[in-house]
Amino acid sequence: MKSVRAVVFNAYCWVVYGFLLAPIAVVVLASFNSGAFLTFPPQGLSLRWYYVFFDNEVFWRAIRTSLWVAAVATVISGAVGTAAAIFQVRYAGRGKEAVRMAMLAPLLLPEVLTAIALLFFVYGLGIGTKGMVGLLAGHLLVTLPFVFMNVAASLESFEPDWDLAARSLGAGRWARFRRVMLPMIKPGVIGGCLFAFIISFDTFTMSFLLKSVGTATLPIQLYDYLRTNFTPEAAAVSSFSVILTLVVVVVSEKLLGLKIRRF
Amino acid sequence: MTRRAAPLLLILPAALVLTVFLLIPYFNIVLMSVRMPGNGVPYAPGWTLGNFAKFFADPFYLEQLGNTLWIGAVTTLACLVIGYPVALQLARGSGALRGLRYGIVLTPLLVGIVIRSYGWTILLGNNGVINRSLVGWGLIEAPLPLMYNGLGIIIALTHVLLPFMILPIMGAIQGIDPALELAARSLGAGRNTAFRRVVVPLSLPGIQAGCILVFVLAISAYVTPALIGGLRVKTAAVSVVDALIDSFQWPFGSAMALILAVIGGGVVLGFARATRMAWVRRR
Amino acid sequence: MTEVSLRQLTKQFGSFRAVDGISLEIGHGAFVSLLGPSGCGKTTTLKLIAGFEAVDGGAILFDGADVARLPAERRDIGMVFQNYALFPHLTVGGNLAFGLEMRKRPREEIARRTAEVLEMVQLQGLAGRYPRELSGGQQQRVALARALVIEPRILLLDEPLANLDAKLRDEMRFFIRDLQKRVGITTIYVTHDQSEALTMSDQVVVMFGGRIAQIGAPEDIYDRPASRAVADFVGRVNVIDARVTAAAAGGFQVATELGAFGLAGTAQPGQTLALALRPEAIGLTAGGDATVIAAAYSGGLVDYRVRTAQGRVLDVQAFPVPRFAVGDAVRLDVAAERLWPLA
Repeated sequence: MKSVRAVVFNAYCWVVYGFLLAPIAVVVLASFNSGAFLTFPPQGLSLRWYYVFFDNEVFWRAIRTSLWVAAVATVISGAVGTAAAIFQVRYAGRGKEAVRMAMLAPLLLPEVLTAIALLFFVYGLGIGTKGMVGLLAGHLLVTLPFVFMNVAASLESFEPDWDLAARSLGAGRWARFRRVMLPMIKPGVIGGCLFAFIISFDTFTMSFLLKSVGTATLPIQLYDYLRTNFTPEAAAVSSFSVILTLVVVVVSEKLLGLKIRRF
Repeated sequence: MTRRAAPLLLILPAALVLTVFLLIPYFNIVLMSVRMPGNGVPYAPGWTLGNFAKFFADPFYLEQLGNTLWIGAVTTLACLVIGYPVALQLARGSGALRGLRYGIVLTPLLVGIVIRSYGWTILLGNNGVINRSLVGWGLIEAPLPLMYNGLGIIIALTHVLLPFMILPIMGAIQGIDPALELAARSLGAGRNTAFRRVVVPLSLPGIQAGCILVFVLAISAYVTPALIGGLRVKTAAVSVVDALIDSFQWPFGSAMALILAVIGGGVVLGFARATRMAWVRRR
Repeated sequence: MTEVSLRQLTKQFGSFRAVDGISLEIGHGAFVSLLGPSGCGKTTTLKLIAGFEAVDGGAILFDGADVARLPAERRDIGMVFQNYALFPHLTVGGNLAFGLEMRKRPREEIARRTAEVLEMVQLQGLAGRYPRELSGGQQQRVALARALVIEPRILLLDEPLANLDAKLRDEMRFFIRDLQKRVGITTIYVTHDQSEALTMSDQVVVMFGGRIAQIGAPEDIYDRPASRAVADFVGRVNVIDARVTAAAAGGFQVATELGAFGLAGTAQPGQTLALALRPEAIGLTAGGDATVIAAAYSGGLVDYRVRTAQGRVLDVQAFPVPRFAVGDAVRLDVAAERLWPLA
């Protein structure tokens, strides 16, 4: 017997889920439009705009830039964030909360202000937005908290006794890290890096303010395109990006899910 | 000695990154806010507090700041009202669909801002799905102004910031021993009373964290208001970027950014204190 | 086999002195228990011996050599943790091989040795299982095997039976003691359970507040406690006031409210003493001036609470036959040789 209350409650929640999905769903639906203009519901279904997009070298260059920037940012913040998380959970002692706040600061400070601060900084150094130092630094900052949070969370379930047991069995510092801690926090590290990759791939503000000529990432290219064009090609590009993200998330969930469940 | 020092090597890279790319640049902004405005160049030699005076002397900027705080407050409230039941369902629910529902809550975080804003344009525009449907069904004569105004910004901000409200509340509710609710029921409290007297007070830390996160992110959001608000409705963050990037007023823009940050921080602090008092009294 | 000595060992946490000048000699192949309530410093002492905590004062010697500068991973100790601390990402075989791999032993030797210890702890065929697939008792034995496979100099056990149910706990006591005797390894066992300490150990070290209250064989600890605190912690005890009425060479007479007794030892006439008397050292017979005020049947034995004519309440433990009920009049027969004067 389900009470009326439960039914209403459930329905309410699903309305919220609908709200959360709506803007993404319309973009995906619009991408299958066969007409020349963005209309909704679509006037007939076709993959026409996907073909247009696949032939558009501008978007492909942007995708390559995005992937490259995201890869570099992820590798660096993966290493830096993991080390910081290990320090925070295991060695920070009384400074634990302070370290956590510092590591999360890039997330809590307004991203636009951070981007501007970085922009001034690279101008002050005299390198400006030539090259990718500013852009990579910005992406490093926005991704670092996500790696840190994920790794720190997985470390919380790491029992100090495992480390002591390994010591009693003769394992030195490096052996304990590689043979005991790393295997156990691996899901957190991989999860954090995937999240970082997605965040970097999608971030707009940092890229917008710190981009230089020829380093437009996909969101920037899409934004530029949308200022002047209203064809469903933008919807096709967006859907492609959404699907890419979805694939990364689902695949990692399946792979990691199995790993995590083995514990 | 080396054994004690070794763990510090772990935090060194992060400390370097944060110092060089965050601390120093922010310090630089503070310095910039007291520099002399330049003419044709970003700033001139010398120091002044005039940038701050200029802001507080101009009703236009003050009104804009008020609007920004108002939008932040409404968005926070909307997120709380919309998000709490979902957080409750996610925290207490189980079953096959839980993973899916959790995934849906995370989608706004995983899909880029340009794409989301594009989606809102398709939905909310004068020619958008909602207006066309309403006109089509004969419910309204002319399209409702859903975009390029405060309402549009609030809708889009609520959408993207909902996860930041839902996740902390969910965490707080998950931390509540279900036996407490049963204990309240065994003592004669009804379902609603048990919820109101046990679950809600114990989830207050999550509510507080969620509200602070959402408010801070809402008043400092740049892209969403810039894309959805159009040219007519500007929030303070949009003005900051205009001043800095478009009109090269680096000192004034920096001062505006600092004012926004300090006022936002003040509101958060006040809110945190007020809610903590409520929490103590309930205990 | 290794001899362990602790010399004036101290460990301070902030202003709290967890271990306060402990000195102890543990002989080759001995099984020594550190027994005490939580917070008495027994686990800290174990961690100091293992090298997990740095010593603040005093010295730890293995076979006469100070190990202070040796990090835990080089001390050659085997340790069994309260929650076993088995590596969840490794199989039983992987857990057992870990210590040998750290010692860079050849592959064939690792295979042979892990198979041997698995047989020793009667877990043949479980090498491929993950720890979470094992029962608590099995995990316990894997933890023991993992500690022993590296052939450590000493074996340290930190409340290893605390997480097992009562029946398994009793079995494991015999299992561990038997294994220890076969291997002949010097063993230090930390517990707060007095019956564990008494049944397993060659020597029991009772600790309170970071200090040693008594060191002795189980019989010494139980029958000849050094203080009232030790007597209280190690089982239940009745404390009876006594006055020395006469003394001679090798013995003295005391008068108590339970009667007059002759005790061995020396004392001054007129001196007052507190005597420890274990509940099972008092016999009950029907008809007397004491009254049963409570009785709790626990299978093999009955715990009585008896009030004497003088109004003193005593604990008595007796066989169920003959059985007395609350309100019955009983006579108390004290086994005089079990009376022990407390310091």
